[in-house]
Amino acid sequence: MTKTFMERAVDWGRRKSPWIIHFNAGACNGCDIEVVDALTPRFDLERLGMLQQGTPRHADVLVCTGAVTLQTRDRLKQIYNQMPEPKFVIAVGSCACSGGIFDGCYCINGGVDSVVPVDAYLPGCAARPEAIIDVVNKLLKKWEEKQKEE
Amino acid sequence: MLAALFHILIFPGLLFLMAYSLFFDFVDRKIYARLQNRTGPRWYQPLADFLKLLGKETIIPDHAAKKIFTFLPIVSMAAIAAAYLYIPLFLPESLYPFDGDLIVVLYLLTIPTVCFFLAGWFSTSVFATIGAVRTLTQLFSYEVPLFMALLAPALLADTWSLSGITAYYSQHPFYLLLNIPAFLVAIIACQGKLDRVPFDLSEAETELASGTFVEYSGRYYAIFRLAIDCELVVVSSLIAAVYLPMHSDSLLLGIVIYVLETLLILFILALIRTIMARIRIEQMVVLCWKYLTPIALLQIIANLLLKGVL
Ligand code: SF4
Repeated sequence: MTKTFMERAVDWGRRKSPWIIHFNAGACNGCDIEVVDALTPRFDLERLGMLQQGTPRHADVLVCTGAVTLQTRDRLKQIYNQMPEPKFVIAVGSCACSGGIFDGCYCINGGVDSVVPVDAYLPGCAARPEAIIDVVNKLLKKWEEKQKEE
Repeated sequence: MLAALFHILIFPGLLFLMAYSLFFDFVDRKIYARLQNRTGPRWYQPLADFLKLLGKETIIPDHAAKKIFTFLPIVSMAAIAAAYLYIPLFLPESLYPFDGDLIVVLYLLTIPTVCFFLAGWFSTSVFATIGAVRTLTQLFSYEVPLFMALLAPALLADTWSLSGITAYYSQHPFYLLLNIPAFLVAIIACQGKLDRVPFDLSEAETELASGTFVEYSGRYYAIFRLAIDCELVVVSSLIAAVYLPMHSDSLLLGIVIYVLETLLILFILALIRTIMARIRIEQMVVLCWKYLTPIALLQIIANLLLKGVL
């Protein structure tokens, strides 16, 4: 199926402007500091087109940190459902990937993928800001290649 | 007929306004980033954002009033594009000059603000409602000083038309210096009109998510963003037309002057945005009513007295 010019333009726009929203599902705050760090002038995500948004309605990428607790489980689901398609989820930090050191705790549901589908995993305790930038970039690159194949 | 359509839809009307506003958005963000010691966005960033939003799924909340919800972005965009037609841009005259177009432009520029309020109100989300109420409170505080500051130079020129102001001040260029206090008031007050720091209370990302636009997504949000960018262009053109009316009779030179003037004003606006932090809503009301309005009033009185003398 060949794409029309407008569809290709929209694909290009998606690749160049990923807007992220950050959600803390129960992290120790270590990974959150790193996510915030990635947004500071030192790393300057805006040069790659990334902007942090306050509302899930405007966001394309959900950057989720920490193991999902029983408290945040429903909220995470709700926020995921509030995001318009196409949307991506990135699990940042070992806790978000698998539950990490909190796994098996009485109040922990598991990693992020136990609640919502995850597109990219980024292990590390805590994940480095360079890695966070890289994972968003790689995710979109992969998505772009898949889009081209279609 | 065809020429009129060309003027309204393409140049210097809608299409040019959209393209220029995307460029303006880029320059604004770039200056903002450079002043923060960052690299800043790439030149096509606003276009990419716009296209991406166009292609995204559009969600309309169940509780929202659907018709009004989808109608508002278009109304605000239309009002802004209409206001643009009455401002002298490259030539000493606007496309359709008439006596009183200054007032019409000012009121056309109020429509988008009311639209933003209604957009927040009809989204029926808590964040959006608070943002909407703040938009209205803001409107009541900056509108008076902004109008008075923009009308003061017109009083001195003894005309309500923008082309008249241009004609008057090109004969007496030194009288422009008399309007400097009004210019400062207008620059500060229009930050409120444009919802920019320090008056971005209705959008306040950290406390209200995105304020009035919380529930907007996809296409409608794209049009709203475009409308906000266009509003930035229109307001800077208006300020340039009232306080720096320098035009030339040749179109090419006129375009160069226009771009330089508006970029200068954009630079001042971006500078204010960078060095300021957001203030609270009651501080804004106090600032506008206690300080900006009296200055604008003094300017009007001074201009009235001067008109008797000059
Ligand atoms: S991965 Fe490490 S730093 Fe990140 S939330 Fe878990 S324990 Fe904290």
